[in-house]
Amino acid sequence: MDIATLKRLEKLNQLALTEEQEKAFLEFFSKKEKEAEALSEIDTENVERMVHVMPIMTVVREDKEIKNFTRDELQQSAPETTDGYWQVPRLVE
Amino acid sequence: MKYETVIGLEVHIELATESKIFCSCSAKFGGEQNDHVCPACAGMPGMLPIVNKRVVDLGMTAGMMLNCHINRTTTFDKKSYYYPDLPNAYQTTQWFAPVAVNGTVEIETSKGKKNVRIKQIHMEEDAGKLVHDDWTNTTLVDFNRTSVPLIEIVSQPDLSSAEEVVAYLERLRSLLRFAKVSDCRMEQGSMRCDVNLSVRPEGSDKLGIRTEMKNMNSISAITRAIEYEVARHIDAIENGTEELVQETRRWDDVKGKSYAMRNKETAGDYRYFPDPNVMPVVIDDEWYDGIKATLPEFPEVKRARYIDQLGLGEYDADQLVESRAFCDCFEEAYAVCGNAKEVANYLISDCMNLLNKKQMTVDMLTLEGKSLGELINLVTEGKVSRPNAKKILAVMFENDINPAEYAEKEGFIVSNDTGKIEKVIAEAIASDPKAVADFKGGKEKALMALFGKCMKELKGNCDPQTLREMLIDAVNKQ
Ligand SMILES: [Zn+2]
Repeated sequence: MDIATLKRLEKLNQLALTEEQEKAFLEFFSKKEKEAEALSEIDTENVERMVHVMPIMTVVREDKEIKNFTRDELQQSAPETTDGYWQVPRLVE
Repeated sequence: MKYETVIGLEVHIELATESKIFCSCSAKFGGEQNDHVCPACAGMPGMLPIVNKRVVDLGMTAGMMLNCHINRTTTFDKKSYYYPDLPNAYQTTQWFAPVAVNGTVEIETSKGKKNVRIKQIHMEEDAGKLVHDDWTNTTLVDFNRTSVPLIEIVSQPDLSSAEEVVAYLERLRSLLRFAKVSDCRMEQGSMRCDVNLSVRPEGSDKLGIRTEMKNMNSISAITRAIEYEVARHIDAIENGTEELVQETRRWDDVKGKSYAMRNKETAGDYRYFPDPNVMPVVIDDEWYDGIKATLPEFPEVKRARYIDQLGLGEYDADQLVESRAFCDCFEEAYAVCGNAKEVANYLISDCMNLLNKKQMTVDMLTLEGKSLGELINLVTEGKVSRPNAKKILAVMFENDINPAEYAEKEGFIVSNDTGKIEKVIAEAIASDPKAVADFKGGKEKALMALFGKCMKELKGNCDPQTLREMLIDAVNKQ
């Protein structure tokens, strides 16, 4: 992980890190990257992709509309609302 | 130098379901802001998504209609995404094992037939709606559309002109409407299209720089956007007017121009990874075969059958195969009355007029084909006059009625009682001696007044030809 990659991730995640935080993250990610690289030493040729860690498959429901919550209930914990909308800092396109 | 255009499409289609893809909220269009929302689609912590089975049914159906291979184990993945219209900061979609892969769609243009390869079809959730409020300088979020089920159909870059793109979109629309996967209405946003386009010298095997235009929602806008982009690319290559870069652009249909969007992300930035909260969906033989059995006959197969076996003209057949609802009604009615031409006429002219009057689309036709067949039998057997059949049809549009019973009850059965007809004719003649004299003096039109009077008196329940003959007879005897 280099500083350019980190800056790019910062921008994508809309974060503003301090220089100190950047240093700490760089160290952290570099360490994690090394750990991950160790996995590539294992031969995975002819091993089928593991699709899921749980042995449970096909959890589906019928297509039926159910309404269990009102808008007011859902917005109780919202920092700000207007006219039934969640209100967030303005986004530029 | 001559250039060729290379186009691939990503088409988003909203599925015809009652509820959302991962929760039971209504998937209906409209409603008050944030009225179709629950803790799951509002992205509250700790909520678990549960897949709507119907979405998998429709994803498979779309895959089968487009000759795809169906992945019998299909999984969901998270795609990083940083806009508040998806509150989880990711979109749940399919990346590693989409429901359908490797299909083909045959299109036909002025240059002949061509196969367009389908790379994959994946199931995913739609995003919500953002409203930018200038007054408070904030953004307002409506999650009603968040998690509404979509499929995305990704083609290979096999298209080479706006004409082919239009033919491809129309083919998709026709097939998916037929299979009842979606109503595919571009103007209402249930079918949207991203266009990936590049230009290269003819014969070159190296692809040019590719740009993407997002969320196009009308055929005419897509055509104009493609023509504009092709010209822009060629101008850049030949005259160096600008440097082409791989980017996402927005099409402004009013200005007729495309603009670079500021936030450009490439595929790597999405950082797809398997969603641990959604269990893999395994499609067993029973499920697979069940969906296969529901597939409709392809529109062009129906069209050929209507023409070759049922004797319809090309125009009538084309009109009918526009809509699955029309075809279903047509086939049910034909089974009852055996008169294809009559059924086609009633559907294409009378039913179409009634639908237009109610501002309904052809897919909203709820008329029972069996009842239409019975009504046509009453007409062809001479029991109900054509004008009265139209009146009955209008009632059938509103209510599920038995046409024979209704005709009986409302006095719409044609009278075979010649005594009654003679009496009505005698009264009409007596009341208008001038018309009688005019007719006998050679004014053919004068008969119409008498004819109208009789028909009105008989409430239309008389064969017009019979009435005309009897009337001429009676007048000449005066
Ligand atoms: Zn919900």
